Amino acid sequence: MALLIAELDPTGIFDLGNTSLIFWEVITFLILLFLLIRYVYPPIRNQIRERQAQIERSIDEAEKTRAEARELLAEYRRQIEEARGEGRRILEDARKQAEAQRERTKKEAREEGDRIIQRAREEIDREREAAVREVRREVADMVIQASEQVIGRSIDRDEHERLISQALDDLEAEVAGATAGDGSETA
Amino acid sequence: MRAMLAQIGQNELREKILHTFEAARHAWHIPLHIGPIDISINKSIWFLWIGAAVTFLILFVGSRLLKDRPGAYQVIVEELYGFGRNLGGQVGEEGRKWFPYTLSLFVFILVLNFIGLIPNTYPVTANISFTLVLALLTFILTQYEGFRRNGAGTYLKSFAPPGLPLKPLMVPFMWGIEVLGEFTKPLTLGMRLYANILAGHLIIYVFLGLILYFGSVVAIISVPLSVVFYAFEIFVAILQAYIFAILTQVYIELAMFREDH
Repeated sequence: MALLIAELDPTGIFDLGNTSLIFWEVITFLILLFLLIRYVYPPIRNQIRERQAQIERSIDEAEKTRAEARELLAEYRRQIEEARGEGRRILEDARKQAEAQRERTKKEAREEGDRIIQRAREEIDREREAAVREVRREVADMVIQASEQVIGRSIDRDEHERLISQALDDLEAEVAGATAGDGSETA
Repeated sequence: MRAMLAQIGQNELREKILHTFEAARHAWHIPLHIGPIDISINKSIWFLWIGAAVTFLILFVGSRLLKDRPGAYQVIVEELYGFGRNLGGQVGEEGRKWFPYTLSLFVFILVLNFIGLIPNTYPVTANISFTLVLALLTFILTQYEGFRRNGAGTYLKSFAPPGLPLKPLMVPFMWGIEVLGEFTKPLTLGMRLYANILAGHLIIYVFLGLILYFGSVVAIISVPLSVVFYAFEIFVAILQAYIFAILTQVYIELAMFREDH
């Protein structure tokens, strides 16, 4: 071995076969390897693994949170949509109600008006009848007075009134007949 | 200057600077022997130990200061660990189990390379004994994994590539070449690291030595140049440590998956 080394490296410049260096190198390197593999790498490996697990957990959690947030958002959107629908419905109802109310009020007003007109008409009729009756009585009185003055004596008032009334009735009937005749003629 | 150089003499100069090993053998010396084998502690051993201690401390302190929210130091150590982890699995995922070895090797060589760059230290990785022994360890592990995982028969047979023409002639020939290649792997591995680190130091030495030969005017050129090479040496230190580590990993994995390739 020593001869081989001497032949390979005659000047000694390569420092082949430096036994002390080789010996201590092997010892040192083996101890270093042992220490590193036993005491250094496991904690680093565990730390990295733990952090990896932690990051994975965080990512999972973040994803879960995001999903939850998305659900919540959807829920809120749905609620808003619902509220909007509700609002629309309420508005619609209110409009319908108002419409109905207006219709009802209009109808009531019309009915009221009709009633008032009816009443007025009845009143007018009544007034007219009263007026006719009054005119009749006035006419009868005037006729009796005139007749008394013409005849120069009083006449039986009741008899007279009956006669006048009959005459007026006849007149009325005649007038009615004439209008009916007109009507028939026009028809 | 020239006179001084002449005084030192060629042999002495070699001893003093180029031949760092000789100089280191007698510095900080504690003589020790196991029978006829010399295991004296000298400057190179001291720096070997310093390198190992620094390697261990960097990683050990890093592994004891672990927090959930890492600081810069922890990030560096963890990145180093992650980088080492990714050294594994070059050929097959099963090879990843060897990454603690490769990672230790990487950090150890890197630290020794860097220590060697500090003036008046000893560049342990520029010693061929050192690099060849590391390469030899790689070789032993490679063959161990090759035999263990494939079985002796399959592993030895796998050296002859399949589909050769002229089988009776070519198979033994190629087998021989492949086996030879298996032995050159650790040799090149050790030589590469040794030569690169030594060459870096020599280039710096040569640039500065030019001042001794041609006078201090040359310093205008050679000092900046040696500074540039010094910076380049830092890069080489990292690169060579990486190459050594990754080739170790690849060799081991290639032996493991020899059958499949």
